[in-house]
Amino acid sequence: MKILLVLLVASALSLFSAGAWSQDDLGPQGPVVKMAPAPVVTVVQGKATTIPLLFRVSSGYHINSNKPKSEFLIPTALKIEATTDIVIGKTTYPDGVDTSFPFDPDEKLNVYTGDFKVEVLVRPLHSVQPGKYVIRGTLKYQACDNAACYPPKQLPVSFDVKIAKAASIPGKNPAQSPHAHQ
Amino acid sequence: MRKNPLIPFFIAAIVAVMLFAGIRIAHNNRANDPAKGQLMGNLAPDFELPTLDGKNLKLSDLRGKAVLLNFWATYCGPCKVEMPWFVELQNEFGPQGFQIVGVAMDDASNEDIAKFAKQMGVNYPILIGKESVGQSYGGVSVLPTTFFLDRDGRLIAREFGLRSRSDFVDDIKRALSQGHAVKAQK
Repeated sequence: MKILLVLLVASALSLFSAGAWSQDDLGPQGPVVKMAPAPVVTVVQGKATTIPLLFRVSSGYHINSNKPKSEFLIPTALKIEATTDIVIGKTTYPDGVDTSFPFDPDEKLNVYTGDFKVEVLVRPLHSVQPGKYVIRGTLKYQACDNAACYPPKQLPVSFDVKIAKAASIPGKNPAQSPHAHQ
Repeated sequence: MRKNPLIPFFIAAIVAVMLFAGIRIAHNNRANDPAKGQLMGNLAPDFELPTLDGKNLKLSDLRGKAVLLNFWATYCGPCKVEMPWFVELQNEFGPQGFQIVGVAMDDASNEDIAKFAKQMGVNYPILIGKESVGQSYGGVSVLPTTFFLDRDGRLIAREFGLRSRSDFVDDIKRALSQGHAVKAQK
């Protein structure tokens, strides 16, 4: 009986390993771009505030900047989901660095490598209830290394903002919150 | 308490089924995973895809010719480096029964792919790729990915990422020398 049980376990393992052989082990293992945990930024009701988001491109890879030199290249772009109570303003991208790569030493591409920072302007409405809110979005990027490129990816992005009450203005109605995002 | 005499037979049957399933799955995965070289020597998975000029091209219609099957994308810098070589190689080896086929694995519009191909002076058919076709070749997660088919339609080599022009020439000569040179149907 014990032998049969051992065989049963061995068979289960063989099934598992058979499935594992089908995994594609080419290209980057895991996301090429990762986001650093964003600190909670306090934002006052009605006031525009810039939120810095830090990203890191894995060593050996590059991604296009937000303004690549060719219309055929896919720009790195942050898309923030619309919210009803917090207005998402301009997104500011860093300048890329003109770099040539071994696959084409004569051409320079405008890219991000290593760490880069994207800034997002947020402005909570006066009516937003003070508290912590989560803002979500995606960073679209397309990575290459020195000899190959990889299909475009979407990195989930999220950061918290803490909405603080604005100094009260005499004669104004108190703040309301029709939609909470927590 | 007396044991049921059927239990050992039941377990043995489960073991047999699991072993059989494991072996079958492993065999199928190996046979269909060119990333690990298991498709090499076998017939290339056939497909029919639209060309940029609105026609269709079926891979098996090229039987009798050596084929370079290149998966690429407009956003891929290394792919762009290869294209002028491919134009030259098509001119050089085409008369011997050699055909390059490009498969654009792109999110770009057909117009943009056509514009790109025109800028590069491409002289071989460009097909609008599908994920399912990429999957049949083991999933095209690296661009460029290039396969070489002999005249019988068998996969004899593949290259991931940019390789040297001389690597391509070696693979093309090998593809031309293998299989039977019959007149292609199209």
